[in-house]
Amino acid sequence: MQLVVNIAVLASIYALISCGYVLIYRVSRVLSLAHGELMMLGAYGLVTTASLFAAQPGVAVAAAGLLAAATGALVYWVLMRRMTGEAVLAAVLATIALGILLRGAMVLIWSAQVQHPARMLGFDNPVVALPGGARLSTISLLLVGMNALVYLALWWFLTRTRYGIAMRAAGQNPRLAAQRGINLHAVYALAWGIAVFTGGLTGILIACDAGLDATMATIGLKAFPAALVGGLDSLVGALCGAVIVATAEVLLIHYVDPLLSDVVPFLVLTAMLIVRPWGLFGSREELDRV
Amino acid sequence: MNVAVPLLQVDAIEVAYHRVMTAVQGVSLQVGAGQLVALMGTNGAGKTTVLRAISGFLGLDDARVTAGSIRFMGESIENLAPHRVTALGIALVPERDKVFDNLTVAENLEAAATPRRADRAALLEMVHAQFPRLAQLAKREAGYLSGGERQMLAIGSALMCAPKLLLVDELSQGLAPLIVQELIHKLLALRDQLGLTILLVEQNARVALDAADHGYVIENGRIVLDGDAAKLGEHQDIREFYLGQGGAERKNYRDVKQYKRSRRWYG
Repeated sequence: MQLVVNIAVLASIYALISCGYVLIYRVSRVLSLAHGELMMLGAYGLVTTASLFAAQPGVAVAAAGLLAAATGALVYWVLMRRMTGEAVLAAVLATIALGILLRGAMVLIWSAQVQHPARMLGFDNPVVALPGGARLSTISLLLVGMNALVYLALWWFLTRTRYGIAMRAAGQNPRLAAQRGINLHAVYALAWGIAVFTGGLTGILIACDAGLDATMATIGLKAFPAALVGGLDSLVGALCGAVIVATAEVLLIHYVDPLLSDVVPFLVLTAMLIVRPWGLFGSREELDRV
Repeated sequence: MNVAVPLLQVDAIEVAYHRVMTAVQGVSLQVGAGQLVALMGTNGAGKTTVLRAISGFLGLDDARVTAGSIRFMGESIENLAPHRVTALGIALVPERDKVFDNLTVAENLEAAATPRRADRAALLEMVHAQFPRLAQLAKREAGYLSGGERQMLAIGSALMCAPKLLLVDELSQGLAPLIVQELIHKLLALRDQLGLTILLVEQNARVALDAADHGYVIENGRIVLDGDAAKLGEHQDIREFYLGQGGAERKNYRDVKQYKRSRRWYG
């Protein structure tokens, strides 16, 4: 039972992070390799807002979330907007550069020490006992709930609202979308905003659960295989990929060796790339040849 | 032209792709309010480039209007972003990729951005009234539509942008003649009922000339002929090269080399 709970929590983390990869890729065909760092930035945003609004944890978290969304839109507006018309590879490299820059800057600003934003907000994260004997922290439970909420909200947004439909349209055929009066830059900025918002939210929750230091970017990188296994342009795929990767990771840690933790996602990824390079739910023709 | 200030005035434009390749040169044309104007020409003559120059290029097209001007209702619109052009009231029905294949018919119509001045609900009602088939197919994915239905959806989604000027690229391409007739009649009806102005790009000169008030013929990136549609239809060159009516008697091949005769070059 504890294993199932562990898988659910880890899968939620991966799913929450990979929906950002998927969203940005699906809309603009750009792979944001700075997603882990942006997620970390979101968490550090909470460290900052926590010191500003120490008395009101709700306000601090909301402000950090808004900050993350604004950061995403800003990244698009300042950096990625200039990449339109360039090769996709150039844009991907720009995100890598951004990631390295952010990682360095964050250590400079917030130091390499482990921070505990939850403690700063006076939240002690009690353990919850589930029926069946499994135990998990409150934040972990919150992560699973947040994952469900985020995916439901995304599904609703993309299929039921005008802007969501416009976003899907822009992802499919940017030229036609522009000719139909859709402002591509606004759509892309919105996609980046939502992606970094969900990423930042995940970062915030993880930081509250386990503390925050420069290694968090690794979690972002480990979620990347989840997005790829599912197929980069499918949210359902990201969800399934997250479950697969998390299951493999938790089971191997439990039965073989905890040291495998950082390797497993990439083992799964390699296996997937050999068998089915476009992922479980991805569209096959979208792949560029190497 | 009998209209004092034309709705759309293209003045001696030149379009270059990738900064060096000139696709059209010195193309001028005018579209008066309420007219249906046809732009004809063979494959690769530059028709689509002219339309795209009007509707706007994206960064990824790497194309620019390098000379001349395009004015719509007195406003300069050359090299404006496509969504800004659409917001001004010009909607394009492109030649290929005219609908979002993975979106349903309803979502295709929903995805189109409507300028603030227009009423979306009323527009949707109007589109459904004009194309009842689209209402029946609302839940169908656009990728599974027939050619005629795709064209209807493309025109319908363009109408959702509340255009004053509708640009139609290759209405007849890949469609059965009967459907083309139906769509042409639909376009004429739209023009009359909605006060729309239409610029129609066509390879099929018969289709274009039958419907149009005014026609332009483009060859190798230049306008070579223009005039009243009825008069153009009478023009010897048009009859010979575009309508395939070479006259009663069979021609001697020795005369064929005179293909280039009597071309006027504008710009």
